[in-house]
Amino acid sequence: MATPEGHGADTAHTATTEAEHGSGGLPQFQFQHWGGQIAWLLILFVILYVLIARVFTPRMRAVIDQRASTISGALETARQVQAEAADQARAAAAEVAEARAQSQRVAAEARAKAAAESAERAAVEEAKVSEQVAQAETRIAAMRDAAMSNVGAIAGETAAAIVEKLTGKAASAADIKAALVARGGAA
Amino acid sequence: MADPIHQFQIVKVVDLPDVTLPLVGMVDLAITNSHIAMTIAFAAVVLFLTLVTSNAQVVPGRLQTIGEGLFGLIDNLTDSIIGHDGRKYFPYVFTVFVMILAMNLLGMALTFTATSQLAITATFAVVTFGLVLVIGFAKNGLGFFKLFWPTGAPLVMRPVVGLIEFFSFMLRPVTLALRLFGNMLGGHVALKVFAGFVVTLGAMAAGGGFGLLGIPGAALSMTMVVGLTALEFLVAFLQAFVFAVLTCIYLNDVVNLDHAH
Repeated sequence: MATPEGHGADTAHTATTEAEHGSGGLPQFQFQHWGGQIAWLLILFVILYVLIARVFTPRMRAVIDQRASTISGALETARQVQAEAADQARAAAAEVAEARAQSQRVAAEARAKAAAESAERAAVEEAKVSEQVAQAETRIAAMRDAAMSNVGAIAGETAAAIVEKLTGKAASAADIKAALVARGGAA
Repeated sequence: MADPIHQFQIVKVVDLPDVTLPLVGMVDLAITNSHIAMTIAFAAVVLFLTLVTSNAQVVPGRLQTIGEGLFGLIDNLTDSIIGHDGRKYFPYVFTVFVMILAMNLLGMALTFTATSQLAITATFAVVTFGLVLVIGFAKNGLGFFKLFWPTGAPLVMRPVVGLIEFFSFMLRPVTLALRLFGNMLGGHVALKVFAGFVVTLGAMAAGGGFGLLGIPGAALSMTMVVGLTALEFLVAFLQAFVFAVLTCIYLNDVVNLDHAH
């Protein structure tokens, strides 16, 4: 700190340092230079400390905090949007399921209705057809009865003709009729 | 060969009259190369931090990323070592870190390295040690001396261990100062020595004849200089970081005295 020689002895001073230098000692141990360096370093250090503590650190922290809040805000928004989208997707899926169930119900109803209608129609047709069959059967029975009565007359005529041919004389109608009845033929 | 020690010589650039202060005595006010190196480092730090913080964006640019990287490095350090009180001590640790880092890095570009002056590193160390003492007594009063009373050791051993603890505590400023000083001194001396070899062996080779044998040696020395330069950049950063880490650890000792002991 305190230089051994006065300022006026400047040439002597440099000569001394050169001598020390030449003798191999480190220049760092020339203590006459310490005071000025230390004082200047402390001044710069205090100024820089005040600048960093008062100006740079608050600014830096403000930016970093702002960034953190921006990021967390964006994350929050993204999470919200994602939740909304999930809700909407669930709603859409429910709607689709409902629509499918409804359409299946409608289809089943339509199928049932169609089956009932066709069964009804079939029943009506069958009734009609069976009526016709019944009528036809009645007609056939009438025709057969008529035919069978005709057969009796024909048998009588034939018998009369045969008897006339065999006996040469015509049998009475009453005899023939009696014979036919006796033979069991249906009149 | 150039004297490798010569680079540490303090040279007066502007001579100012000496002043005599009470108590201190005579102080040489001359502006030396050391003052200039310190001032350039200081100005560079202020300029850098101004550029980084004046127009800080939420999405940082390149320069801001570097600045925030350094900021975050020290912020994490104070937070993780000192704990929830760490933010209070952040400005001090950050100031020490950036000043030493700037002086170290500037030494890679200038012919003079401020942190290779024992006066400078001792000042940093003493200021840090003084701060630890002041905070220690302010926070704990006389409980500060519990720092030297190892409750973990057996009772018989405690005075002995405590004495050792006390000496190691008192040696902290010395080790802080000498570590940084020694690293910067050694690195720059080694650089200068190998650079000197390049010149000397090159001059030998220029003489021709047997001197041509100097060429491989000069080439090897050149390789060493390149490698050492890279190493010195690493050391420049690392020593500033180590100083910051140790400052944090020493501060933690006294800030969280009740929790740790």
